[in-house]
Amino acid sequence: MRFSPPTAQKHTRRLDHWLRAEASTVRNPLRATVAFGGINGFLLIAQCWLLAQTLNATAIGHQPLESVRGYMVGMVGLFLLRAAINYVGQRLAFEAGARLRTNLRARLFAKIDELGPGWSRNQRSGDLATRIVDGVEALDKYVSLYLPQMQLAVIIPVAILVFVFPADWVSGLILAITAPLIPLFMILIGGQTEKLNRQQWRSLARMSAHFFDLIEGLTTLKLFNAAGREARLVGRIAEDYRQETMKVLRIAFLSSMVLEFLAAIGIAMVAVYVGFRLMYGEMHFLNGIFVLLLAPEFYLPLRSLGSQFHARMDALGAVDPIIELLQTDAPPRPAIDSTTTLAGLSMSNGLSDIIFDTVDFAYPGGDPLFQKLDLTLPAGTVTALVGPSGSGKTTLGQLLMGFLQPTDGRIGIGTHDLNTLAKKNWHAHIAWVPQNPTLFLGTLAENIALDPKPEGHEDALRTAAKNAHALDFIEQLPLGFDTVVGDRGQGLSGGEIQRIALARAFYKNAPLVILDEPSASLDPESERLITTAIARLAKNRTVLVIAHRLTSIETCDQIIYLDQGRIIERGSHPELLERNGAYAALFRAYEQAAP
Amino acid sequence: MKYAGKYRELRWLIVLSRPYLGWMLAGALLATGVLLANVALLAVSGWFITAMALAGLGGTAINYFTPAAAIRGLAILRTAGRYLERLITHEATFKLLAGLRQWFFEHLEPLAPARLQYLPGGDLLSRIRADIDSLENAYLRIFTPALAALLSTILMGGFLLFWSPGMAVINLAGLLLAGVFIPLIVLRAGLNSGQVLVQARAALRQRTAETVRGLAELTLFGNPQQRLDTLRRENNDLIGPQRQQNRLDAGGSVINTLISQFTWLGMIVLGIGLVQAQRITGPELVMLALFGMASFEAVAILPPAFRAWGETRQSARRILDLVDAEPIVIEPIAPQPAPTRFDLCFDAVTLRYPSSAKPALDAISLVVPQGQIVAIRGASGSGKTSLTNALLKFWPLVSGDIRIGGQSIHDLSGNTVRGLCAVVSQHTHLFNTSIAANLRLARPDATDDELVAALKAAAVYAEVAAFPRGLETEVGEAATRLSGGQSRRIAIARALLKDAPIVILDEPTEGLDAASEQAVTDALRRLIAGRTALIISHRPKLLTLANQIIRMDQGRITLP
Repeated sequence: MRFSPPTAQKHTRRLDHWLRAEASTVRNPLRATVAFGGINGFLLIAQCWLLAQTLNATAIGHQPLESVRGYMVGMVGLFLLRAAINYVGQRLAFEAGARLRTNLRARLFAKIDELGPGWSRNQRSGDLATRIVDGVEALDKYVSLYLPQMQLAVIIPVAILVFVFPADWVSGLILAITAPLIPLFMILIGGQTEKLNRQQWRSLARMSAHFFDLIEGLTTLKLFNAAGREARLVGRIAEDYRQETMKVLRIAFLSSMVLEFLAAIGIAMVAVYVGFRLMYGEMHFLNGIFVLLLAPEFYLPLRSLGSQFHARMDALGAVDPIIELLQTDAPPRPAIDSTTTLAGLSMSNGLSDIIFDTVDFAYPGGDPLFQKLDLTLPAGTVTALVGPSGSGKTTLGQLLMGFLQPTDGRIGIGTHDLNTLAKKNWHAHIAWVPQNPTLFLGTLAENIALDPKPEGHEDALRTAAKNAHALDFIEQLPLGFDTVVGDRGQGLSGGEIQRIALARAFYKNAPLVILDEPSASLDPESERLITTAIARLAKNRTVLVIAHRLTSIETCDQIIYLDQGRIIERGSHPELLERNGAYAALFRAYEQAAP
Repeated sequence: MKYAGKYRELRWLIVLSRPYLGWMLAGALLATGVLLANVALLAVSGWFITAMALAGLGGTAINYFTPAAAIRGLAILRTAGRYLERLITHEATFKLLAGLRQWFFEHLEPLAPARLQYLPGGDLLSRIRADIDSLENAYLRIFTPALAALLSTILMGGFLLFWSPGMAVINLAGLLLAGVFIPLIVLRAGLNSGQVLVQARAALRQRTAETVRGLAELTLFGNPQQRLDTLRRENNDLIGPQRQQNRLDAGGSVINTLISQFTWLGMIVLGIGLVQAQRITGPELVMLALFGMASFEAVAILPPAFRAWGETRQSARRILDLVDAEPIVIEPIAPQPAPTRFDLCFDAVTLRYPSSAKPALDAISLVVPQGQIVAIRGASGSGKTSLTNALLKFWPLVSGDIRIGGQSIHDLSGNTVRGLCAVVSQHTHLFNTSIAANLRLARPDATDDELVAALKAAAVYAEVAAFPRGLETEVGEAATRLSGGQSRRIAIARALLKDAPIVILDEPTEGLDAASEQAVTDALRRLIAGRTALIISHRPKLLTLANQIIRMDQGRITLP
């Protein structure tokens, strides 16, 4: 038999340790579960004793029913009492698991909130959702079943031994010797299973990724008449997965076979030895039948533990990415405690100038993107960022929103350093229209007013929609603002989604607007509506436009041409055209292409 | 095959198991053997020690070799049987499920893209993966154990009948209560919460995904606390039905245990009377008592398995609902061979999507002579893409006809029509494999030289050759390792390899920056040279490739 390498075992121990530490947050219900299980075990011993008395009196002593009535009544009482205890124990175990899952999810969500948009941009949302929903579910059985069973698998057999030894020490010895063999074999086999189990998880992930790819490309496959070929590939991948699964199961079955074998042989040995001792008159039948009745119960907790073993495997397989997420370091926080607020700033007196002062920035592990970047966004003006993709336009917006932190230099909001401002307060001053707006599952009203104003919500909502040229199409919908939209904005066109995002910005009415132009060009009518809405939004606000296409930036106060993190040109549209540099070339290329 | 009406999912699952029926029956027989071996082990043990005790007391001789050997034999039989049984049932079930995945994918293909457009890819993935996985419950935890329970109940009843009809009746009643009545009650009570559970889990998954996707918007516009509250509430919506199921599971198992206990107690009461009447001996009483206790192992696992049927059925339903959907385009009964001319003629074509009242194409007539290039421009929603959906037989026509080389596409199979057309669009998918494998999708037997020639014509070869692994470069999930312009030009190379007489360009330069757009347009120029081509775009640069430009608005052609 080969063993998994020590590193893998160490890793598993670490995961086990982590899971146990998590479980200690629900210590009380778990302890109660174990306590109830233990009491139930003691009552079971009593029940076996009563049954042994009954059988002894009637089968050996040939006494009538009346003489054992007391035992019978006692047994019925125990049945009912044990049923109640058993039920409560199972319920408590569930509540422990449920509470753990709820707490863990709350922590994961809080972590996501803490890591913030700078981090979430690079995440695969579907993958994270699986991690948080299904991964956490997979921990449930480990906590609510496996852990209590671990303790009961010690408590109950020991309790039974305490009663078996006085009754018949040979049987006690048989049980005491076979029992430790069970965990021993399980550990030996378990190491092997673990490695295979990890392989199987990988194979499952591979299968999922492959299937997803094929499903996403189904129309393309159809265009090349290749779907038949690929279906056979699906069959092959599924078959590989089956074989991996069976490999794990064969070992798991083997381990449970060893367990069952030891249990069965233990019972058989007890029965045979007790039989012979009875024949030779070395013990009393009462003790003999008592021991025989206890023997299966002795192995039962160990067998149950064996059947919970895959609960442990599932948990160990799922817990890795959860720990990884919880241990992801939040972006470096400024040393200064950010409690300063931009008090007194409002629309009426306008926002102060925004100054990027010798800002350096590099993504962790990447080359520096910005080095000594200087840029001023004068209050109440419109600045456009242009340049090839990868030049840092989007990153600059992220820095301004505080989702990313400069590695050096400062971003000034008037006299304040952005780093010294409380995040929440700063965010209250920003409206952002992203390139691909997210629509959340909910009504259009909820999507426009993500944080409804306590007063004048209805009016603000309508005005915002009107200003964003969204009111017309919303009112044409049968349910109007109550229309439910969701996942990737089903039922709305790209232009409509864009206008919902604009309405969000109008509704928020913030003094700074960051506008990420949609990358796909819209149809001319949508484009016109959006352009006029943007012009309206820009009035009396400081605006930063991240321009992917050069639609309507001619009227901007300032145009910044970024290339690989460096500003190579800045000025107004006519100035830059006159200069006949990079911007002019870009503009001409676009002119040529424009409708 | 269509399944409708009551018990549709159950009937489907049974039909599916037909090829593996032998294996499943063997598994059930083994499971029965295991149950009986276990009952026999305890019963013989009880009889043995009592008889030995009486022998010791009375000093009579007894044949102890046979029962002692039987006890050991039964112990081994039980263990080995259990191992074999699990191996066989799991092997058969997983073979069935692996086949089912391929079958599901094959059924998905005719539905694409029309029937699948409203289903996100993640939903389909969870059907082919998680839903199919969860069907194992039906075979491993419901069908086989139920059959084994039935068989062993009959055999055990027969055995008890030999000793005492009264005991047989009590035992049978207990087993029926615990093995049929309680599981069915639990099943009924669990159906609703099982369904709610599946939905709640999907809802939480969706809410989590959108939170991550829209975290920036939530941070700037929303109220993070409120979001956390929503997520907490939806977590509780998931815990709620699970709690109900836990109550059912706990209640079911507790009641089953009570039924079993009262049953064997009843058997003992009866047995004591029989001993008194000297109808049975003391050892036989102990044997029958232990027999009664052990017999309930046959039904112990049934209530939780039946309770889980709600979830299993939901999974089966999700698979069936999709697979049973009719493909939206009916294939011709006697398909004609492919035409030899390739001019296109749209003749009063009308097409309507079920979700909208207005037709997407309203009696469109259009002729593209062979080798000519026609461009169609118009606002989004004007019906441009519907034109290709109609031509590629992705959507049926309400009326009118499309002819390729004079041959109506009604009489051509979808595969024939699509074999004649090469399509480059904004949504062309590159698979997460090597560049070479992606290209060979169009021509599986293409040589490397042919691939290189196509890449050169698509003006992307220099960039591909610059990758360390060249043609064998893996493109990554959703081609993330390539730039937008690169993947578009590789898609063009793939279309070139297909060498189809008709080319459809559906917004092929959408979402590209100005420099990439120029490169892609140049590559497209080479692709459409000498072929019949339809260009759909409102990008002026692309329109310069066309011999003729028409304009569409609201499903009609408005003159250029």
